[in-house]
This record gives sequence, C-alpha cells and structure tokens, in this order.
Amino acid sequence: MSRLLPLALLAALVALPLALGPSPYLLNALIVTGILTIGALSLNLLLGFTGQLSLGHIAFFGIGAYVSALTSLGFEVDLGFGYRIVHEPWPAAVGFGLATLAAGACGWLIGRLSFRVRGAYFVIVTISFAEVVRLVALNWVELTQGPLALTGIPAITLGLPGIGTWTLRTKLQNYYLVLAVGTLCWLVVARLVGSRFGRAMRGLKENESLALSVGINATRTLTVAAVISAAMAGAAGSLYAHYLRIIDPDVFAFTTTVSMVIMVVAGGKGTLMGPVVGGLIFGLLPVALRPVMAPEAQWIVYGLVLIVILFVMPRGIVPGLADLVRRRPARPAPVLEPSPVVQR
Amino acid sequence: MDQLIQHLVNTAILGGTYALLGIGLTLIFGIMNVVNFTHGALYTVGAYLMYLAVAALGLNFFLALPVAILGGLLFGAAIEILLLRPFRGQDIDTTMLVMIGAGIALQSGTLWIFGGVAKAIPSPFPEAPLQIGPVSVSWLRLFVLGAALALIGLAYALINRTKLGLAMRAAFQDADTAALMGVNVRRIYTATFAMGSALAAAAGALLGPVYVVYPQMGGLAELKAFAIVILGGLGNVTGAAIGGFILALAEELGAGYVSSGYRDAMGFLIIIAVLLYKPTGLFAKAERIG
Amino acid sequence: MTGRFTLTTAILLALAATGARADAIRIGVNEPLTGPFAASGTYVVNGARIAADEINARGGVLGKKIELVVEDNKSNPTEAAAVAEKLITSDKTPVLMGAWGSSLTLAVMPKLADYEVPMLVETSSSGKITTSGNPFVFRISPPSALEAETFAPMVAKLGMKKVDFLVLNNDFGRGAATDFGKMLKDKGVQVGLVEIMDQGAQDMSAQLAKLKASDSDTIMVTSAVDQLVLLFKQMAALGLKKRVITTGGSQNPDQIIAQAGSAADGTMHLTTFLPWIPEKTPDPKATETFIAEWKRRGYEFAGVTESFRGYDGIRAIAHAIERAGKPEPAAIAKAFWSVDFTGLNGPIRFAKSGPAGRESGQSKPDVYLIEIKDGRVVVPTL
Repeated sequence: MSRLLPLALLAALVALPLALGPSPYLLNALIVTGILTIGALSLNLLLGFTGQLSLGHIAFFGIGAYVSALTSLGFEVDLGFGYRIVHEPWPAAVGFGLATLAAGACGWLIGRLSFRVRGAYFVIVTISFAEVVRLVALNWVELTQGPLALTGIPAITLGLPGIGTWTLRTKLQNYYLVLAVGTLCWLVVARLVGSRFGRAMRGLKENESLALSVGINATRTLTVAAVISAAMAGAAGSLYAHYLRIIDPDVFAFTTTVSMVIMVVAGGKGTLMGPVVGGLIFGLLPVALRPVMAPEAQWIVYGLVLIVILFVMPRGIVPGLADLVRRRPARPAPVLEPSPVVQR
Repeated sequence: MDQLIQHLVNTAILGGTYALLGIGLTLIFGIMNVVNFTHGALYTVGAYLMYLAVAALGLNFFLALPVAILGGLLFGAAIEILLLRPFRGQDIDTTMLVMIGAGIALQSGTLWIFGGVAKAIPSPFPEAPLQIGPVSVSWLRLFVLGAALALIGLAYALINRTKLGLAMRAAFQDADTAALMGVNVRRIYTATFAMGSALAAAAGALLGPVYVVYPQMGGLAELKAFAIVILGGLGNVTGAAIGGFILALAEELGAGYVSSGYRDAMGFLIIIAVLLYKPTGLFAKAERIG
Repeated sequence: MTGRFTLTTAILLALAATGARADAIRIGVNEPLTGPFAASGTYVVNGARIAADEINARGGVLGKKIELVVEDNKSNPTEAAAVAEKLITSDKTPVLMGAWGSSLTLAVMPKLADYEVPMLVETSSSGKITTSGNPFVFRISPPSALEAETFAPMVAKLGMKKVDFLVLNNDFGRGAATDFGKMLKDKGVQVGLVEIMDQGAQDMSAQLAKLKASDSDTIMVTSAVDQLVLLFKQMAALGLKKRVITTGGSQNPDQIIAQAGSAADGTMHLTTFLPWIPEKTPDPKATETFIAEWKRRGYEFAGVTESFRGYDGIRAIAHAIERAGKPEPAAIAKAFWSVDFTGLNGPIRFAKSGPAGRESGQSKPDVYLIEIKDGRVVVPTL
C-alpha cells in the first residue's frame, strides 16, 4: 500500500466533522472509537510486532484512566500505621502525563516479571494482572470510590500558565485531541518499527534463537516494547476518563480487551494501518447496526462479521487488501510464508 | 474450627466442577493449540439443553444429563468442522479470534432465544442438607461432585486406555509425525474438540440445577477455566484436575479469612505467584522457553 | 478505503434512522436490553410500553400521540452515556427515562447537564444520583437511605439485636450496607460482618459459611433476584437458618418462589410494590388494570415488581409534558416540580434534594415488608 494512504485517511478524518455537520452522536461514536483505536495501536505493538498477546491490556488503559482522574480530582488515603496521603487536585493535563508514566511503569513491571515466559503463559499473566487490578479498583473504596464511580472528572485543559489556557469541553475539541494523540501514537509506532529496535522485535518474533545468537537481548527488547505499549494504552485511558468525565471499575472489563484484539487481528496485526482500519470498522459497526436490528441480533452479526472477515482475509483486512491491490492470488499456505514486510 | 471444616468441604464440592471445566479446555488447548473462547458458551449451551430436557421435554433428571452432554458433543463437532477446519494452519491468534466471534454469536443467540430471565432447573434431590456434625452438604452438590469425578475418570480412561486416546496423545506430541504414521489427524481434532465441548456442556448441565441458568453464565466460568488450565500446565489433564481444586481452595479460604471482596482475586494472585515461581504451571514439563 | 466506506455507511444508516416523525411526542428510553441486566431492563421497557399505549388510547398528551424511542445501553456505562447522547441529539427527544442501574444513570447525568434535558430515573438507588447537584434528574425509586428510613420503625418490632450484611459489590449493595448500617446503629442494633459478593458470582458458600459462624440474628441481603435465588438455595444447603431480610426492590418474589422453592420460606423482603395484594396498594384500580394488561400481553407475572417502575415512569413523564404545555426540555424540567398523582406505589411528587440552587427531584414511594410463607407472599403482622 502506498505511503499516501495514511495521509489520505488522516486528511479524511480531519475533514470528517465538517462533512458530518452538527451530529454530536456520531462525533461521540468517533471519539470513543478513536480512543479504543489508540488502545488497539498500542496492543498491536506487542501482539503484531513481538507476537506477545497481552489479553490484560485493558489493565494499562484502566490504570491510565484512574491515575489521570485521581490526579485531577485529588484524594485522601489512609495507609495504616498513621500514614496518610493527601493529594490536592492538579490540572488534568498533568494527569494525562502521569497516567502515561504510571501505565508505562506497570508495563515495565509486567514485562520484567513475565517475559521469562512466552505465548499462552504471558496471556494468562496479563489476564490475571488485569483481574487483580480491577478487583483492587472495586474494593479500595477509599481511593477509587469503588463501584460508586469517580464522577465530576474535569475536562482536559491545554496551555501554559501566563499565556492562557484552553479547556476542551466540546465534542469537536475532544475529537481533534483524540485524533492528535492517535496520530502521535501512530507515528511513534511507525518510527519504532522502522528502527533498529523494530528489527530486533521482529527478529524475536520470527526466530528467537536466531535473534539471540546475533546478540539481541530478548527480555530487554520485549520489556521496552511492553513499556511503550502500556504507556500508550494509559494515554488512551486518560483521554477516556476526561472525555467521559466518569469512570468506574467497569473500565477494566475483559470485553474491551477483546474488542481491541478484534480490531488488531481483523485489521491486520503487524501492519501499521491494520489497527486503524480494524478500529474504525469494529468501533463503528455497532453504531451502524443499532438502527437496523434488535439488540441481541446486533451482537450475533458482530460475531459473524468477524468470522467472515477472517474467512476471506485470514491475515486481516489490510494485508488482504494489499494482496488484492497487487493482483496476487492469496497464497495457498500463508503460514509458511516469511513474515510480511511492514506495510505502510 | 467448624468454619474451617465447612470451608474445606465447600472446596471439595466446588473444586470438582472447576476441574471438569478445566479439563475440557486443556485438552483442546494442548492437542489442537486452539484458545477456545467458545468454552464458556458451550458451558451455557449445556445448561440450557439440560433446562430444555427437564423443563420442556419433561425428561427424568438423570436421563436429561446424558442428553445434554451428547448435545454438547454434537455442538462441539459442528463448531470444529464448520469453523476450525477451514482455519487449520492459521496462527493461534486467528483461530482464537474465530472462536471469540463464535462465542459472541452463541451467547447472543441464547439471549435471543431464551431471553435474559434466569431459569431454574428442578432437581430430584431433597432440599434439606446432609448434616454431619457441624458441616452441611446438599445432596445435589454431592451428586454433582460424584458425577464430575466420574466424568473426569471417564475422560482419563479414554485418553490413556483407548486407541482414540493413543492417537490423541500422538497428535499432541507431533501432529505431522502422527499423520505420517497413519493417524487421521483431521478426525482426531474433531473428536478432541467434541470431547472438550462435551465436558464443558457436562459442567453446565451439572451446575445448572445447582445455580440458575442465564445467557451470561459462561463468562466467569470461562475466565476461571483459563486460570485452572494455566495452573495445571497446558494440555496436562491431571494438572487441570488438581488446578481446579487449588483454585477452589484459594477462593474459599480467601473469602473466608481475608476479604470476600477479593475472593476472585485470590485465584488470580495465586496464578501470578505460581507462574513467577514455576513459569510453566505446577505440573507441566518445561515448555520451550525462547 | 474500507474504513471510510464503512464510515459513510454508518452515517447514512444513522441519518436514515433519524427521519423523525414530527406528529408524535418522543420520549427517550435508555435501558439495558443486553448484558447482565438484560432481563430487568426488558421488564422496565415492557412496563413503559403499556403506559404509552394506555396514554395513547386515551388520546395522548397535548393532543398528540407519544412515541417511545427505546435504546439498549448494553448494561455498560459508556454505552449508556452514548445512548443518551443519541436520544437527545439525533432523535431529539425532549425528555428521557433511564437507565436502570446506578452506574448507568451516573454515566448519563453529565449529558443531561450538557444538553439541559431532564431524565426520569426509575430504578437506580445510589444516593449520589440526587445529591450531586444535577437539576435535570427526577427519581421515583427510593435511594437506600430513604428505604432504611422507612424500615426503621419495624426494627424494634422484629426484635433485631445484631445484624450481618451480605451485599453486592457495587453502589447498590455497598450503599445499602452503609445506609441501613447507620440506621440500625441509631436504633441501638449491633452491626457485625459486612460481606461482599461480586455481581455475577454464582457460588457464595464461602461468605455464607462465615455468616453461619457469626452470632448475629439477622442477615440483610442486597442483590438482584438471580443472585438471591442462588443465595437462598445455598443457605439451605449450608443449614443456615437466620432471619433474612432483602432490600433494594429488585427481588421479584415470585421468581424467588418459583426457583428457590422451599429454600425461600421464611425470607423477608423490602419491596416498593404489592402486586399480590392489589387492594392494599395506593391505587388498587390502576394496579389491577396494569397487572391485567401485563398478563394479557403474555409476560411473566414475576416481572411486575420491576416493570411497574417503567409504567409509572412514563406516566410521570406524560404528566410533566401535559403541565409543561409543550414538548420542550426546559419546560418539562420545570413542570416535573408540579407533577402530583398517585402511582402504583404511592404519590409521585418531587421533593428537592441536593445542593441548594441545583436540586434534583426525589419522590418518596411506599416501602413494604413482605414475607414468603409456604410458597406464597404474605404481609407479616408486626
């Protein structure tokens, strides 16, 4: 696929609100889809480029959301033994930064702890981590308000003291904020994948023993990938918290991780455009289905669309379309084929 | 002390069903390398088949049980032939996603057909529990434990004592070589998936009368089944059985003596601890690392 | 390419659905129709439909028919907020009803403030809903503090000395434990254990074993009907024979009787509706009509303790629109304050609640204590 496609898509997304006119509902759907797509982008860095499936990815997203919300709301916690932590509210933009850092730190921790194992075991460590974090958010009521939800989270304010500030309240502002963060994340992934580090990641995915023999430090490479991936997910979580202005432990729902995985794999894992295309399709599919059929039927169609896409294009939409564009017939045994070069 | 004994008895009862759930999943995982995200949905299907057989067809409770299990077997075979066979050779993420899609469709399908209101399955056992000193156990739950252990024994015998089981084990170790030795791997895969599904349906059919039956009942069951499988080591049937009891013990004691809010966290914390200490699960031979 | 194509399709479909019928007054209904709360949400919507049909049969409101725009919030707070957005901006509904669970309602509330559209809250029980200063919220279900207050006079009559709690791990459950605990302490009753269970948890035997070993005389339980059925069965299996009182108004006693059988015998429940004894309800004739219509449509009788809220909710909204004189959000929000009629569970009249100047409306429904005896619902004499 040509280099122009991402630019064209970006231009289309920038222009879209003008074409949509004042339809807050669709704009809202686009914002939520955009936030999930950032999550999918970050997941793709691990799943697509290193081959490690983080099925607890929502943990980083949720941690980002909670850190950001708590930073901007303030809290007071009794740690026992007479220690108290009192935190005064800070600006939401600081929360965004801290959310990114905190989620990244968690990524580092999980990476250090669990990259001694691979494959299915890594999957379960991440699932378990996400469940434990969810239960902490649910039960540490003093800090997180537990199921009572954190409400009244302020909108993000941009700007510098002295120069003037700009609070992002409207849908349109939030849309462009999400688009900007999303574009930034996309660029980070693109640069990373094209670099020496990206070759190390892919080397590990294709043939770990070979990669090790040429001096690639497996645990270090994977851990760095996990940190960046988790930090991006945390940023997405922060956007989510400040956009929705309420979060409860449901942000850790397993089904959201599943949605992100669907976006990545159906879009085409290990490709730069895959998560974006998959994100737009599976983020907006429920919106498109809503007016035309009964709620239960919507989900049946959702599941079936997923299966059909995989039937027609087992490697995902973007690689599938790329094959079509090149007028090459689908190769008979895609498993044996060397991994596709990064598609841009 | 009485409380502790009651907790241990509860563990035995709960552990039996957890083991049953785990074994079906570990078989499919181990032999076919498929992360079966329809496991929870098949558990739900088993429970609804039991409900249909008892409440709608008016079948005897003990007759309905094999009907539901057989239904699960056929369901599993159909899923394997229709959805997994075309994807053979694809990587594990693709088949996992196909299973996720099928799981979503199945779960929404049950919601559509049966509605969201939970159904109860009447059981022929007396309501009054069996009382031994300070400890009470319900008759139904004792029966469920017995049936679960019998099914686990049956699965074990099938894998270790029959020709089919031999072929399954051969396919587990090396599918290509097994195929060269004349094993019909396609058929083995179908049989494995059907058997795993039947075990999931059996767990649903057994637990349906203990609990209530509703479309979302499979979600939590599935997550726990994954945990059990990892605790025991991938593809390790004995390990999954023991893993089921360990998870039950952790939950029971965690809720009893630590905090009931963290009940479900206990299991997952143990899994993290086990994986850090012995990354390949408690009972597996070391898998390739790197 | 594909991305944009789907997008266009989505937009076209959504726009196609917006082709509004100008002749009817639209009421947005935001309920969980799939996900864990699907059963309850569906009951509420069925109740709402009965009310709408009844009102339309009588000629509608302001000479126009009313039309319910029902949307599924998938039992998910994010979806609930999105649905509210859709109902307000794309369906142009001037008033909403929703959103069953407290976390769902809380997620919708910022949208109400943003667009200044009022919502009638029919089921949620969290205290936060009417105390956080959102003047577009009008609630007909009792928050747990109000429920506890109504229960207070019965505490001494029941001879309660020490109470344990077993509650759902959400605002519904924890809120009940806090509010009832406070009320009981004020009445000189000891509060022992507060045990938590997860929503969707099926096996509570560990918590029950702990409760069995405690020295309390009563266990107060807060959860929805499906979990209560499981609890009663498991209590029977453990030989736990203390007095049990459930709170929260989502118990559907008939479903409990049908599914838990004799295990439910002797349990007591605080409910907000008495469909078993229509003559004891505030408006016996309306109760009978509603139940008859419910049965005629072939719905399960057990659903009425949930669906009557949808029925009363739509009736309250219709009253407000009538008083507003025009189907516009600001007028309806103002008119809610003058709504005054007898609902199926008491007078529906909104009192001010929350910070001054930005008060929410809270109606005070009746709360009844019922007991299940030999598979039937009775009102115990205290």
